[in-house]
Amino acid sequence: MNLLIKSATIVDKASKYNGKKVDILIEKGTISKIRSKIDNPANFKEFKRDNLHVSLGWFDSSVSFGEPGYEERETLENGLKTAALSGFTDIVLNPNTNPVIDSATDVSYIKTTTSSNAVRIHPLGSLTKGSKGVDLAELYDMKKSGAVGFYDYKKSISNANLVKIAIQYSQTCDTLVCMFSEDEKIKGSGVANEDVSSTHLGLKGIAPLAEEIQIARNIYLTEYTGGKLHLPTISTDGSVAQIKNAKKSGIDVSCSVAIHNLFLDDSMLDQFDGNLRVSPPLRTIKNNKVLIKAVKDSVIDMVTSDHSPIDIEDKKVAFEHAKNGTIGLESAFGALNSLFDTELAVELLIKGRERFKIESPSIGEGVEANLTFFNPDTAYTFSEDHIHSTSKNSAFLGQELKGSVYGIFSNNKLVTNQ
Amino acid sequence: MGELSVSHLLGIKYLQKSDIDLIFETADHFKEVINRPIKKVPSLRDITIANLFFENSTRTRLSFELAEKRLSADVVNFSAASSSVKKGETLVDTVNNILSMKVDMVVMRHPNPGAGVFLSKHVNASIINAGDGAHEHPTQALLDSYSIRERLGDVAGKKVVIVGDILHSRVALSNIFALNKLGAKVKVCGPLTLIPKHIESLGVTVEPNLEKALNWCDVANMLRVQNERMEVSYFPSTREYRQQFGVNKQLLNSLDKEIVIMHPGPINRGVEITSDVADSKQAIILDQVENGVAIRMAVIYLLASKIKQ
Repeated sequence: MNLLIKSATIVDKASKYNGKKVDILIEKGTISKIRSKIDNPANFKEFKRDNLHVSLGWFDSSVSFGEPGYEERETLENGLKTAALSGFTDIVLNPNTNPVIDSATDVSYIKTTTSSNAVRIHPLGSLTKGSKGVDLAELYDMKKSGAVGFYDYKKSISNANLVKIAIQYSQTCDTLVCMFSEDEKIKGSGVANEDVSSTHLGLKGIAPLAEEIQIARNIYLTEYTGGKLHLPTISTDGSVAQIKNAKKSGIDVSCSVAIHNLFLDDSMLDQFDGNLRVSPPLRTIKNNKVLIKAVKDSVIDMVTSDHSPIDIEDKKVAFEHAKNGTIGLESAFGALNSLFDTELAVELLIKGRERFKIESPSIGEGVEANLTFFNPDTAYTFSEDHIHSTSKNSAFLGQELKGSVYGIFSNNKLVTNQ
Repeated sequence: MGELSVSHLLGIKYLQKSDIDLIFETADHFKEVINRPIKKVPSLRDITIANLFFENSTRTRLSFELAEKRLSADVVNFSAASSSVKKGETLVDTVNNILSMKVDMVVMRHPNPGAGVFLSKHVNASIINAGDGAHEHPTQALLDSYSIRERLGDVAGKKVVIVGDILHSRVALSNIFALNKLGAKVKVCGPLTLIPKHIESLGVTVEPNLEKALNWCDVANMLRVQNERMEVSYFPSTREYRQQFGVNKQLLNSLDKEIVIMHPGPINRGVEITSDVADSKQAIILDQVENGVAIRMAVIYLLASKIKQ
């Protein structure tokens, strides 16, 4: 496809064009020219927007849709459309479907069904068969079919020996193991962060200890095996301290944090809103400040929307009965751009591909166009009108956000909101 | 007469001190009423109240029903095992169905914390929380403080220790909020496994030694161990619990002052308190039950008067 992007400010710290307002000419999906002004060569479609900014296409390392099995939550088609309209050109898809993605055939299904889409899906396979935490799934076979890593989504594995074996085996087939860290017994039937707020509200607490004790174990196992490990969606200051020390010692661990764990906190639970039930739970404001600093210092390697569509029937219920999870793609930029300056927000939305060995795009003449279009200055109250997902379970409803997304150009396709 | 600052009674934490004072003044009046030969007043003849109990209850349900009937309200009762109402949509649907029959007020007990708050946002009726999980049991706390006021003249400045299973107790939480608002000093006492880690953020102190706690206090509110809410054993045996946290007459007599013993019921005689303590003149357990009706009449009356506006 051919496209002439008019008057776009480039936000890309690594690029010589950073901060410059330019026209960008795309011919057959490739950036052919970047100049301060380009005349339309042959009646190309022109793309103009108010206060248009452009960056490399954004990446999200933890996205869940519902297909197959939970199509009522989200389909692949609408999920990808949501990702595109939220600015994401590459997403890592969690295997938490029904059945879970735990075979090469399952991975191939996801890849082939979505191959022509503007947004590139990078599936994770389940680490263990059926995500049951008992036997390893066929990691090598799934990797050959396109799985970029392996994860029993939001399930911690209590058997330390199995985790050890998983990390060792992943080295032989050169892939990445992701490990959710939460001790099931310490968590018990907890539903909210154990602190002042849960005490005031009579909600059963989940102590930060539940996460930190497993982070410690997983770091030890990574060190012992000499392998590598990704710790998705950490949430406590104690986890940050441990990961910082592990990295200093040269242990190959990486981690992510969910944007809602940076932006929202447990004092907001006073209305018992099921949309705020997430795993790991919302922690304290004080804790979030440590997480935000760790993001700035790159102790936390990447941020994620941890997008998780859930039906209203499982959310508009008493807090204890609400399922965990919030959608997050649509609010990701607005939230990050409110917490950080735009340049850093965009940098965070680009980070993480390398860990999953996904090719990183760049902005320059002669390279394939993988771009996100946005306006960093719009301020608005996030409402259902901003949601593209089938499920409307956003923890961000009612929050004041800054920055909106126009769309993407990726895989030789333009997807925009108008 | 004044009016409450709230349209629902969802918890003590949502009340102002002036609300509690107003409820107590109103309860004084109704206590006189229920001790008359004709115990009924026609105040709420045009009000219909639904008692929705999604969790078992005997005394609270009876107390509410008596309070409603003595105010001449029309009353309907609904009970359901918690298993049949696991989904909140069902809860909203159930309540909305009942409200379609023109019910003005809902008294609800529910196993989930915040169920009353949740419901108040989704249905058009005045809600009274009769206990929601480990969150709040506001009328119990009101009647407890009212009973202290009745026995000791005032709540302000009094020292109250709450003994037992604090972790699973809505009574403890509501009592702490009420006693703090009324100016009492509060300690909690029990095995540390049954005391929330962040309890001191509520403005109380923790005293794990029962004898020290009793020597300090004017009033001891003895709570039941809620075995039905426990997934694991929080202490080795009832025998050992009793040895450390049970109040018997010998222990009471060893104190250098006569303290007041309270219990929200039902009592496990021989566990948290022995029979001779429960039946002693220091115990005001049956006064609490009587005051419960007056307090609930006051709460219903004051909320109903807001509906009428």
